[in-house]
Order: sequence, then structure tokens, then C-alpha cells
Amino acid sequence: MSIVTAPPTAALAVEDLVVAYSVRGIDRAVLRGVSFNVAPGEAYGIVGESGCGKSTTAYAALRYLPRNGKIVSGRVLVAGEDVTNMTTSQLQRFRATEASMVYQDPAQAMNPSVKIGPQLIESFTLLGQSRTDAAKSALEALGRVRIADPTRVMDRYPFQLSGGMQQRVVIAMALACNPKLLVLDEPTTGLDATVEAEVLDLVRVLREESNAAVLLIAHNLGIIRSLCDRVGVMYAGRIVEEGPSRQVFDDPQHPYTVGLLRSLPRHGVRKTDRALATIPGILPLIGTDLPTCVFVDRCPLADELCHTVPPPVVPIGTAGVRFTLCHHPDRIPDLIEAEPDVPISILSPSDTDHEVLELTHVSKTFRQRNVNVPALVDINLQLEEGETLGIVGESGSGKSTLARTILGIESADSGGAVALDGHDVAPNTTSRSTADKRAMQMVFQNPDSALNRSWSVRRILMRSVEKLTGIKGDEANARVEALAAHLRLTPRHLDLKPRQLSGGLKQRVAIARAFAGDPRIVVCDEPTSALDVSVQAAILNLLADLQSEERTSYVFITHDMGVVRYLADRIAVMYLGRIQEVGPTDDVFNGPNHPYTEALLSAIPSVDGEATTRIRLEGEIPSPANPPSGCVFHPRCPRVIPGVCEVTEPPLLEVSPGHAMRCHIPIEELIVLQRKPLSRWAPVNEE
Amino acid sequence: MSEFERFVPPPEAVVSTPGADVMMPTTDAKGGPTLTDTPADIELSGVVQVSERKQARRENWRLIRRRPAFIVGVLIVLTWTICALLGDRITPRDPFKPSSDTHVAPGAKYLFGTDSIGRDVLSRVMVGARDVIKVAPLGALLGVLFGVIIGVIMGYFGGWLDNVLSRIVEAFLALPVVLVALLAITTLGSSTWVVIGVVSALFTPVVARTVRSATLAERDLDYVTSAKLRGESSMFVMFKEILPNISGPIIVELTVRIGYAVFTVATLSFLGAGPQPPSPDWGVQVSDGFRVINASIWWTTFFPAAAIASLVIAVNLIADSVQSVLEAS
Repeated sequence: MSIVTAPPTAALAVEDLVVAYSVRGIDRAVLRGVSFNVAPGEAYGIVGESGCGKSTTAYAALRYLPRNGKIVSGRVLVAGEDVTNMTTSQLQRFRATEASMVYQDPAQAMNPSVKIGPQLIESFTLLGQSRTDAAKSALEALGRVRIADPTRVMDRYPFQLSGGMQQRVVIAMALACNPKLLVLDEPTTGLDATVEAEVLDLVRVLREESNAAVLLIAHNLGIIRSLCDRVGVMYAGRIVEEGPSRQVFDDPQHPYTVGLLRSLPRHGVRKTDRALATIPGILPLIGTDLPTCVFVDRCPLADELCHTVPPPVVPIGTAGVRFTLCHHPDRIPDLIEAEPDVPISILSPSDTDHEVLELTHVSKTFRQRNVNVPALVDINLQLEEGETLGIVGESGSGKSTLARTILGIESADSGGAVALDGHDVAPNTTSRSTADKRAMQMVFQNPDSALNRSWSVRRILMRSVEKLTGIKGDEANARVEALAAHLRLTPRHLDLKPRQLSGGLKQRVAIARAFAGDPRIVVCDEPTSALDVSVQAAILNLLADLQSEERTSYVFITHDMGVVRYLADRIAVMYLGRIQEVGPTDDVFNGPNHPYTEALLSAIPSVDGEATTRIRLEGEIPSPANPPSGCVFHPRCPRVIPGVCEVTEPPLLEVSPGHAMRCHIPIEELIVLQRKPLSRWAPVNEE
Repeated sequence: MSEFERFVPPPEAVVSTPGADVMMPTTDAKGGPTLTDTPADIELSGVVQVSERKQARRENWRLIRRRPAFIVGVLIVLTWTICALLGDRITPRDPFKPSSDTHVAPGAKYLFGTDSIGRDVLSRVMVGARDVIKVAPLGALLGVLFGVIIGVIMGYFGGWLDNVLSRIVEAFLALPVVLVALLAITTLGSSTWVVIGVVSALFTPVVARTVRSATLAERDLDYVTSAKLRGESSMFVMFKEILPNISGPIIVELTVRIGYAVFTVATLSFLGAGPQPPSPDWGVQVSDGFRVINASIWWTTFFPAAAIASLVIAVNLIADSVQSVLEAS
């Protein structure tokens, strides 16, 4: 299939590429005929769920396939040169001078035992520069990626730099050879939203400066939208829809694109409005024979035709820049117009007015190398029955420590109190009563780590039921089966080991385990950040359902603003172990906000492409061991009042009922400062 | 209501990473289960592969059987085990009966020659496996058992307990092996059980160190946190939750240790700390024969020594195969 013939000038042309991985002696197709072009200076994005072949495409473009991977047919042309039949030495020269790649984890892309300077200089001496020239070029390169103090950074080891700085250095290295093609594979996935925004800004500027073609792989639709001119939506090794990113995201023309976009919590949708849409079924495993449409088994539009005849490439519009791979693009509007109306009966927390959890003056100080490191400072929070409290903040803000302290995995410092249903509980799990343990359970971020991989699902659930409720034998087994059924796990799932389950099913098991003893409070620590968007939607729906039935309260930790907006009733924003702002979800999203919240909200790339007034945070989150004086946020605050903010720490003051923040700027002034169009912010999935 | 909506509440399922795909077989060579894509199976669509684990074990077994190194190793070990079990019932001559044919070179009559009092070396080598084939695995097994217990405790609790135990382990490792063994055997006697005890004591610290690091990697996983949250005892977490997950390195350690144990037991009996003459034990035979090696009488030393080497190599071949297959899966 090649509907767009490669213009001779294309920086990257992929033509009908078929790549297979050999698993136990059998070649299994992972790319099933991928074609696209990227013009010089253009940014092309590939989106899709994990396992669809995005990264394989990126690696194949530079012929960096793993040992068991091979290009079965098709061609990859970079600046007119065919990468697929280069000799090893040609390939070496090509990778050194023509194309560069930036990986997800910058720490792994650098040599941890060599300082930045020598590493960066090496990328220039490799190009034939003398050492003195290379040193000069290296300094320039660091300046080019907007590193403020290049000389100082050159003298650092990679581990001494933050993730954002590391990624800048890696980008500087990648740009050393002035590549014609820059491949970015999930370049910001491990970074905080604020840092991510900076890195994306940088890539945007550099692209304009260098005229390199950019191939961006991301699962985050917002990033693709904000950075890429065109996007290809990939599913099971095929590009099923392609076009200018704005058009594709605003007006998707393939059922899969529609499904992806609809499973995102967007446009400020809340759990009380509706359940999120999901994509039924599972991505076919690599090597599966898919003779017709690759999406046919999960497609709501699929009919007899789709099962028998491969779909045609249907051009969309007259400009010849868009196509979809579908038999029924005319029926797409039916999909889009209908909103799923799965009713969610959420008990409004105000109906109960029963405080299930109260933290008063809770602090947590770690002792590291004889230095006190305050990780939590004077946290006061309440949680009502059936309520969800979202906790957001950058990494290092103390979110997870707060969760662990509530649960007693870490003991709070003396002087504070954690009260459950009105009675104080012991600071440490082991000294809590079974009833208290039973009342508070946790859902972890990574189900692979949270489930014992040598236990069957039944044993995992059984043990929790027995331990927490005291029920034994057949009765316990009956309860396990009821619990599983409640979480939409079938009896067949019970006898499997976790590794036999998909990520979403594993997370269901983890949630079932947390609900084994009818908990009052479930602490969820980023429960969906390891999952794909359609799976995330199903898990969020499930959590909302369970809450409405069981009146369980959630403490929901996340850095995904779209998710927190969907699920949370109230939101607490944390920075350096302190609560900077807390309030009802609508108040927090509509503002006025603490400047930190304002920055967090504006940092997120939106899939809806609404205009945002970007606020960039300078610098990094300071070390909690040595917090700044006065307001801890003042060194990074764009609205800092000199002479005030660095002197005294502002108190957490209520600005409207239930909405409090810690800021010296009077609320009236903040309202004026932050005045903006009503829909200035739209949530987006951001992992 | 559009068709799309009717699909709304399915249990989602997605294979997590491209890497996982690569590792995961979709079908067995024998036509094992594949994913069915019929709508009726949507409920189960998250099951990556129903009998995948059993199948993985089967595939591991198949992979290991295909390795020539493994087959050679097993054959050698089996040969020596049969010789040890059947003893003088299958030897060509009485391994203990002297004759007037002393120091006869290997030839048609005596395949491996005879020793200083005319005993058949072949027959003696065949029965000489008796002690080592019993002592070495038992010693290794006990050493691994104690090592696992100590290592799991060190890794799980960490802190001062780990510090103290680590120093003790290091102190043990600093002692010269042969010296300690000889000392123990001279004081406690050279019965089979003392040798087994000495071998296991020598191996315990080494195994403990390996198990400790494996436990450290598990200790911080969330399933351990989850166990604490439901109030499990440390014993339960260590031996019911963590232990099954570190069985791979423990199995590898056991097979490797058996090889070392053969080696150690042979060394000890060579040095006289073990079975005594006229025992046909390989180590004893080597120590009997090596004095005359300068008189060109090499066969009384060579054949028992080669037997020791063959057993050590065979066990190592098995250990290697086990390790590479377990690590690959």
C-alpha cells in the first residue's frame, strides 16, 4: 500500500515496511506494511496503544532492531539513501552523521561514569573535529538546548542532573551531527508535566532552527498534537489513519482513532456526568494472521465486508493529505455523535457528611546521613465517606509519602494524628488492629510489582479475604468468587498467575484485593499510569462504580490532571511536602489558583488544542533537606513578591468555602492576574 | 444508541509492551492454545494464554533436553550413579581382591591396569563413586538449605541484623577452605555425616550471599508492602511470598554447588580426611597412586582423577544448561 508516493526530497520515507520478530524459531509479523513520509523540517507523530508497533517503526527507521527482529520487506529511505540494504560500515556512518535517536530514559542513554563534558565532546570528535574545536562545539550545543550554565554542566556526572536536564543533554548529543532525521521515542514519558512542557518547547524551537525531520513516537495524544504537523495512528502494525494532527484529533475518521480519543477523560468530563468509553477486546498478538482489516475484531462498525475484504485506503478531503483505512468512513459520524450513557450513580459526598479520615498536623521526617529531611510538613486533611480526594504534584512533592504515611507503611512523626472514623490509629501498620488494617487498603501503580507472581489470582484474593475478614474455608472461597465477579473477573481468571493476565486485568485483581475486606478508604497511587488509555478508561469506570456501590473513600494520587478531574471530588496540590492548595475539583480547575497549580495546569499539552497561556516553571524542585526560606515555592514562582515571599511562609487560607491556598498574593489580585477565557484548559490523558 | 455503545463495558485487555510480545509465544509448536477472537470470548480476552505457565515449563524442559551439554552431563552422572548403586555386581573383577599382577599397565587383560597390590583399577574406579555420589549432593543440599534461610533473613530484614550476619559470612569466606575442613574432620572424626556437615558449612555463606541479593530485589516490591498492609508475619512474607519468587537462582545455586561439592569431597579424601584405605574412593585412590607416578606408573592416578574430573564437569554441564534456560525464560 502506498497512496502517497515519496517525494524525492523526503527526509524519511518508509515504504510498505514489514518487520517480524523471530520468537522460538518462527517469524512473527509486528509491522504489516507501514508507509509514511516525513519532509525536511516536518514533525510526524505516531500514536497507538503499547504493542502496536510504534517503537519498532522508530527503531526500524534507523535499523536498530533487536537481534531477533528483521526487515522482511519494504524500504526505509533517509534523505534518499536506502537504510535497508546498507553495509555495516555504511550504517555506522549513516547513524553517526545522518540520523539521531532520543530514547525514553535519558539516564540510560548516557555513560553514568563519565562526566557530561567528555561524553558530549566525544560526539563531536567522532565527526572528525579536533579536541579544542569539539570542546567549543560542546559548549555551544549545551547553549543550544537552553542550558543556562554550560561550563558547570560539562563538569557534572549524569546522575547529578535532573531528568529534564539529562534529556536536554541527550538531545544536544543527538543534534551534534546536524541530523537530517531526529527520532524521538517517548522522549518525555518519564518526566513531570512541567519538565515535559519545557522539553517539548525545546524540541519545537530546535526543529525550526535545524530543519531536521522529526519522527515522534508517543502514546500521549496531547504531545503529538502540540508538536507534530502530521500524525499516523497505528494499530497492530498498520497505520490506520493519517493526516494533519489537528484534523485527525478534531475529526477522527477511523473507528480506532475515535475509540482512542473517546476513552480519554476530556472536556472536563466528570464521573458524575458519564462513564468513559472503552475499546472492547484486546490488541492482537504479534504474528497473528490478520488478512483483512487489522481492527476488525474490536470495531463496532465491523460487518461481513470488513471480515472478508481488506479495507481500502480512503482519502479524506481533497487536499490529498489525509486517509483512513476503513470500509465505512461514512458511518464514522454515528460513532462520534452518540455519547455513551452508561449511568453512574455517584453518591454525593455531601449526602453523608461523615468524616472517615482526618489528618491533623501530620509530618514525616526521614533521617538520611544524619540530616533531617522533612518529606511531609504539617498536613491537615479530611476525607468524607464516599469522597475522592485527588492528590497532585510533581514527583518529589511528597504525594507517595503521604499515602504511605496514611497507611502506616511509614510512621508519621509524633505530634500529628491520623484518625479513622473518629478514633486515632497507630502510626505504624504492624501496631494497628485488624479492623483498622481492613479499613485502609492500597492499589499500587504497577500491578506487576503489586501482585505476587508465583501466586494464583485465587490465592492472592483468598489470603486477603482470610487475613482481613477472618472468614475461612468455603465461605472465604465463596467471597473470593463474589469479589472476582464484582470486578468482572471470571472464575477462569482465578486459577491463573498474574503474568498470564493483561495489564488491565492485573490491575483489576489488585483492586479486588484492596476491596477484600470492605475497606473504608482505598489509597490509589497512580493506578492507571502504567496502562493504555482505553484500559485506563475501564479502570476509572470500575473505580467510580465501586465507589458508588460501596461508599468507599479514595485518596487518589496522580499527576494526570484529566484523570483527577474525572474522578476526584476534591483536589489537594502538594509541593515539597506541603499542601499548597486544596479545594473542590471545580474550584481548582476554574481558579483562581495558587501560582504552582496554575503552572501545573498550563503545562499539560492538550489534545483538544485549545489555546493555553503557558506558564513555565524555571529550575527544579528543591531538595526537601534544604527547603527555601519563606514560601517554599518562591524561587520558581512566576508571581513572586520580592521582600515578602522569601521571608515568611504564607498560611493555608480559605479563599472560598472549602477552597484554601498558601499564597501571599491577595485573592482579588490573583483573580485579576489569572483572568482567562473560560475553557482555557482542557484535560488530556497524560501518563 | 449506536453500535459503538453496545460495546461499552468490556473488561479491557491489552498486551503490555512490545517487548513482552516478543517473549510471548502465540502458539505452541504442537498447536497449543491461541487467542480466540469471537465476541463470545470477549470476557476472557485479557487472558494472554491460558496454560501459558505450564507450557513455559514444558518449553523450558524441551529447550533443556535439546542442549547437547545437558545430555552429555546427564549421561555421565547417570553412568556413575549406576556404577555406585550396583557396585561389585557389575565390575569385571573384585575391586578389593589383591593379585600377583601388580602394576600391570592398561591392556587387554586389565583395561585400566592394576595397582600396587594387583587390584583391578577399572573395577575400583567403578565402585569408587559410592561415597562421593552420596556425600556431595547431600552436602550441597544442606548448604543451600541453610544458606537460603540465612540469606532470606539477611535480605528481608536488612539493617543491623544484615550487617552482623554479613560480617560473619565474610569472616567465614576469608578462612582457607581446606584448612577448616581438615581441622573439623580431625576433631570430629571422618564419618560420612561429618563430611556432609563440613561441606554444607563451607557452602552456607556463599549461598547466603547470593540469596540475600535476590531477596533484596524482592523486598521492595509492592506485593511485600501489600502483605504488610494486611498484617502478615515476617516469616510468612519471607518464606511464602518471597521464597517462591527467588527459586530460579536457588536452583541454579544448588546445581553449581553440587559440582563444587564433588570437588571438595574428592580433595578431602585425597588428603585423608574421609574414607580410609582400602576404600576405592577416587580421592583415596589418587592419593595411593600418585607417589609412583614418577616411575611411569600413571594409570593408578590417572583413571580415578579422570573420574573425578568427569563427574565435576558433568555436573557443571547440567548446571550451565539449567542456568541458561532459567535465565532466558
